Amino acid sequence: MGKGQPSFTDEEFVAAIRRDDDRALAQLYRLHFPMISHYVLQNSGTEDEAKDVYQEGVMVFYEKVRDGSLELSCQIKTYLYAVCRRLWLKRLTDKTRFGGRLDDHEPYLETGAEADLEEAEERDRRLGTMAQALDRIGEPCRSLLEGFYLLDKSMQQLTAEFGYTNADNAKNQKYKCLVRLKKLFFNQYQELI
Amino acid sequence: MKTEADYYALFDAYRSGGLAKEERTTLEHRLAADPELARRLQEFEELTGTLTAYGRRLALRRKLHAIHADMDAERAVRLTPLAKAAEEDERLEQFATGRAPRPALRISRTEEKLRQFWQGHRATMMVAAAVAVLAVFTTLLGMEMYRASQKPSLYGYTVLRREVERIKRNQRSMNRTLNQMDAPQPDKLNPGKFSGTGFALTADGYLVTSYHVIQGADSLLIESRERQRYRAEPVFTDVAHDLAILQIKDKSFKGFGRLPYAFKRGQSELGERVYTLGYPREDLVFNDGSLSARSGFEGDTGFYQISIPVNPGNSGGPLLDDKGNLIGIISGRQMDVQSAAFATKSSYLMRLVDSLGTAHAGKPYNMPRTNLLSGTSRPQQIRKLQDYVFVVKVYE
Repeated sequence: MGKGQPSFTDEEFVAAIRRDDDRALAQLYRLHFPMISHYVLQNSGTEDEAKDVYQEGVMVFYEKVRDGSLELSCQIKTYLYAVCRRLWLKRLTDKTRFGGRLDDHEPYLETGAEADLEEAEERDRRLGTMAQALDRIGEPCRSLLEGFYLLDKSMQQLTAEFGYTNADNAKNQKYKCLVRLKKLFFNQYQELI
Repeated sequence: MKTEADYYALFDAYRSGGLAKEERTTLEHRLAADPELARRLQEFEELTGTLTAYGRRLALRRKLHAIHADMDAERAVRLTPLAKAAEEDERLEQFATGRAPRPALRISRTEEKLRQFWQGHRATMMVAAAVAVLAVFTTLLGMEMYRASQKPSLYGYTVLRREVERIKRNQRSMNRTLNQMDAPQPDKLNPGKFSGTGFALTADGYLVTSYHVIQGADSLLIESRERQRYRAEPVFTDVAHDLAILQIKDKSFKGFGRLPYAFKRGQSELGERVYTLGYPREDLVFNDGSLSARSGFEGDTGFYQISIPVNPGNSGGPLLDDKGNLIGIISGRQMDVQSAAFATKSSYLMRLVDSLGTAHAGKPYNMPRTNLLSGTSRPQQIRKLQDYVFVVKVYE
């Protein structure tokens, strides 16, 4: 581990992740996993739970960086730790209303993690709704939209894949699907709110 | 009337910049004028934005899973024997290239458990250990201090030198501050740290006192009843029998004159009436009683037990019998026994003096040989005696 890889400073990490450097992401991930794993294991968690929590934390960090809205007032390490700690405590309270030993006597660190987490929760809910909407929209539409928006395929590719006579046809189909998705999405999303 | 799908196509083109310039400006104008249209655009943007965000989220999750799987795989590989061999090679290579090898830790399952336990409870155990260590040392220190406060009186034996510091200094400093409010500062007199009693051994300036009185002394001062002060130095000490012989070094000293008492070389009888003079306070104090036993504390045959109430400061005082023979030197008392004081037997003092006399050839101790006190009443004896009993002040 770490052999032959360049080691980054915090600023370099942020810059690298912003320009979509997967190696930097992998290194960041490896760098801080032991800390979170140790924390979760110490607080009555398992290796798998540690992994889940950590990935969620990294995701929050990553998405903030990609958004460009990250205001890091501390080290990445501290930020990740704060985020993961919050996440884990939340999970513990959910898991056991009673008995879950909450080791929450650490001093409160001003990392901005709290606010970021709330934002992330909101986003999670939206994305969850989107996932549900996609589930309910039915087949050709789902693949078509996923192909176009998620996998960034061109209209020509999709036309060929789905056997449409021409690109305009496919485009039309796509917009129809989009309209349906919109209905499903906003109905559910509004319901949730 | 356009369908929603048409709008979406328009928006999509607008977003991706695929619109011609005039179309673009007309759309922007319409957006500004038509709030309904603007709302639609906003909805569209939210929808597609969420969709792409969802896509990115999925991709990221896949990526992280891959990274984690990679990590796990690496760890697993490291533990297989094949990898071990590879690592061995690597280490050799590292040696060859001069880089220090990283020590790899391989631990058994039980050890792993123990490690986990240690990691989990490390803080608690540290605290417990610290408290234990603290408790042990506090106890030891406390006991040591307690014992030191009783020293050198083992098991209830208390030596009777007086701590002048505590009693006198407080009182005097109070008086002094009262008196010196306006009066000029008189010569300050160091009252000494301890005091005891001593008495003349020979006419030419030798004195006897208890060893523990002068123990640890820097300088000694002898003070007579008339406040006459002499500097003295210890000549010889006998720790076992708690004896010390002092000599007055002052040039102004002219000698005591003839000593009225004689030293008894033999043992005294049980039940003999005895008395002592001493300085447990600023003035000479007389006390009497009987000789209760011919052995001292814990059967020490070097001492008598006497039933005289003695106090700190009495130490080193002379013990005399009815006839005015000096039979002992007051040494200490037993705390847990009623009125049990101890005095060194004069026979030991004699033996000490004799041995010193032979050692210091040509300078014998001129011991008084005749007893001028025998046959006189006790007040008369004391009147004669009191000039030969002194305060021994000790400075540390």
